[in-house]
Amino acid sequence: MRVSLKTWFNKGDPWIWINAGAVSISLVMVFGLLLLIGVRGLAHFWPHSLMETDYLGENDKTTLLIGEIVETEEVPAEQLHAAGVQVPPGVDYMRRDLIKTGNRDVLGSDFRWVLADRMRDVRYPKELMTLERREWGNFYGYLVSVKEDGSVVASGSGAWDELQSRIDRALSLHDRIYDIEKQQIGKVNYTLERLRLKERRLELDGRKTPEAMAEIEAERAEQHATYEVLQKDLNELYQEIKRDALVARAMNGKELEIPLSKVVRAFQPNQMGLGDKIGFYFAKIWEFISDDPREANTEGGIFPAIYGTVLMVVIMSVLVTPLGVIAAVYLREYAHQGALTRIIRIAVNNLAGVPSIVYGVFGLGFFIYFIGSGIDEHFFPEALPSPTFGAPGLLWASITLAILTLPVVIVATEEGLARIPRSIREGSLALGATKAETLWRVVLPMASPAMMTGVILAIARAAGEVAPLMLVGVVKLAPSLPLDGNYPYLHLDQKFMHLGFHIYDVGFQSPNVEAARPLVYATALLLVAVIALLNLSAVAIRNRLREKYKALEM
Amino acid sequence: MSETMTNQNVVNDEQPFNESKHRSHGIDISAIERSMEDLSIDNETIALEVNKLKLFYGEKEALHGIDMRIPQKRVTAFIGPSGCGKSTLLRCFNRMNDLVDGCRIDGQILLEKEDIYRKGVDVAELRRRVGMVFQKPNPFPKTIYENVAYGLRIQGINKKRILDETVEWALKSAALWDEVKDRLNDSALGLSGGQQQRLVIARTVAVKPEVLLLDEPASALDPLSTLKIEELIHELKNDYTIVIVTHNMQQAARVSDYTAFMYMGDLIEFGSTNQLFTNPSCKQTEDYITGRYG
Repeated sequence: MRVSLKTWFNKGDPWIWINAGAVSISLVMVFGLLLLIGVRGLAHFWPHSLMETDYLGENDKTTLLIGEIVETEEVPAEQLHAAGVQVPPGVDYMRRDLIKTGNRDVLGSDFRWVLADRMRDVRYPKELMTLERREWGNFYGYLVSVKEDGSVVASGSGAWDELQSRIDRALSLHDRIYDIEKQQIGKVNYTLERLRLKERRLELDGRKTPEAMAEIEAERAEQHATYEVLQKDLNELYQEIKRDALVARAMNGKELEIPLSKVVRAFQPNQMGLGDKIGFYFAKIWEFISDDPREANTEGGIFPAIYGTVLMVVIMSVLVTPLGVIAAVYLREYAHQGALTRIIRIAVNNLAGVPSIVYGVFGLGFFIYFIGSGIDEHFFPEALPSPTFGAPGLLWASITLAILTLPVVIVATEEGLARIPRSIREGSLALGATKAETLWRVVLPMASPAMMTGVILAIARAAGEVAPLMLVGVVKLAPSLPLDGNYPYLHLDQKFMHLGFHIYDVGFQSPNVEAARPLVYATALLLVAVIALLNLSAVAIRNRLREKYKALEM
Repeated sequence: MSETMTNQNVVNDEQPFNESKHRSHGIDISAIERSMEDLSIDNETIALEVNKLKLFYGEKEALHGIDMRIPQKRVTAFIGPSGCGKSTLLRCFNRMNDLVDGCRIDGQILLEKEDIYRKGVDVAELRRRVGMVFQKPNPFPKTIYENVAYGLRIQGINKKRILDETVEWALKSAALWDEVKDRLNDSALGLSGGQQQRLVIARTVAVKPEVLLLDEPASALDPLSTLKIEELIHELKNDYTIVIVTHNMQQAARVSDYTAFMYMGDLIEFGSTNQLFTNPSCKQTEDYITGRYG
């Protein structure tokens, strides 16, 4: 039987197809996005093979070229011709490779574009070595010898194993230096600063008695003594770590002496098997999520940024939830449902549409310059003129984002409250409960899944915001974590690092954009993962609450 | 394991069925027997007295000056067609209408000679004394135990021993104890509709009210559960003054001692159930109970 177009249309089939199409497009876009940043970001940590080639330069001179191929593209010959490159006749497109040559200290730049057909004799020698360094980026080249106190201890084939064990020693020394510098001396400095502030405080209060001063001086002397001991240890460690060095030959033939204290890792990618490469890969990823950044954030890890993001979101949630819930309860349960309430509700809804940078400006102007300065004057006069809360910091960033996400929580909670059946409220009231008791014991628990929905939306929004944070507390590199072992542990006045800002900073403010690009993708992937994780935990809490109070489906 | 559990449940469900069939027969007999005894409102102690009660929803007058006396420890039924104001009147007894925007009351309702609408009445306290059960079972999304203990906790009673005793007593009064005693800490939402409604009654009884208001308590239930509720009403009237709204006239005849017939916001007739059903004094009442309109 022939089905006419009209019946087919009336049966609703086209709508199903259109809906299915829309859903598919959305899914493809989401997965495409994740795939793109996933592939681009995660590929960065794979140990790339090192290529060696004789490159035919413009003046027909061959030079040795060593590096990793990072990117390949086809370029119209005309464009190259216009740029002054000699193009063979009859060719429309030419392949061009971006080579990471590293050795910034020797060559001046990390990257170089080369034409594929000018590379002669591409080879992958097993002895080629990649050195990850604490400064100047990667080094590519051949290991010549290993030195101890200036004299060669190993060279040739035995040098590699010797190098590895000496690098391990240098790394453990470096860890100890880091521990003393950051943790122990950091603690001493922190205590000394607190003593200074205490003294200043006493002076301001006019209570600077000799007894109090003696006490402070005693403690200060104690701290100085600790410091002397630490400093002595530190000097010894520095002497020890300076002992070893390696000599390596770069692609331009120069031999370079590199102290092992500057080396993070040495490996020979052309010699690694698949298993080695996989192990190396995961070690690199672990380094990325657990280490501090190096070299203006373009190398190393991003742990402080993850930490800052999560902490900021948690503080934001803790602030926004009670505030939003209380406001919603008032609007829905207590306020007279008249014109004024309606206007307030519209205003709240519209707040969600205010551009986030406006909140940043508000936070800076109101919270930091007005309230923060006020707090400083009244509670921290000893630290002035340097501000305590009168400068951007974790607290103000969290509060600003709490205000930004407040409408979301209010709206979600209000909807949750509106969905509680009247019969349940009446049941409670009929048992002699007051309105407040009913709210507290029945209505709010039942509305808690809706509140969690609001918090989930708030988290999703807040974790991805960058613009307002740039005004109220985020920095490129924070010297210490905002939550650490120094009293009072949570430093709400400190500036912090944030994944979103890190992406912006690495991608657009970095001195070495080309090198940092994969990190932008990797950081973006991590930001998505962190938000997803925060959301999933909130969803898990919500589902548990829903299970508990599923009366709403009655 | 689960199979035997289900079997047990079936048995549990069936057992009261036989009993109630038997009993329901008995109710009919007692209704006839009751016709022999002479119930008269003048011989009763009065629990609630309604004087010239008018109720307005905004401008609209919903009750037009109702006068009524409700006897103590008896079951009084309100019948009448939908929208006649019987539920509205019932909700005046524990001031549930206060929650409705624009609802205004004129007149008096005396509970033990005290006007419940006078200034300074503690509404929460009043509702403790005048409990209410609603049309749809509305257990809280808490455990069975916590549902029954709710009213006590509101009063600040948190001693485990007192709570345990009261919960058991209330569930026994509501004829639910045997069915739930092994799962007091399960969610109340897992109970059947009829069990939920008995749980709500137990919850109400637990705060020891003087008056029980039942607003069509069985209308959302199946016939079996309805019979159980009716049985329960019979048991409870020894201790409580019960006012029940129903649109089911057989039910009114079965469970009540007194019946009020309301129509369009007026009280048309009030009398002993027997008299009202067998020998109504108003033409309207007769028309309604014989099913000519409504």
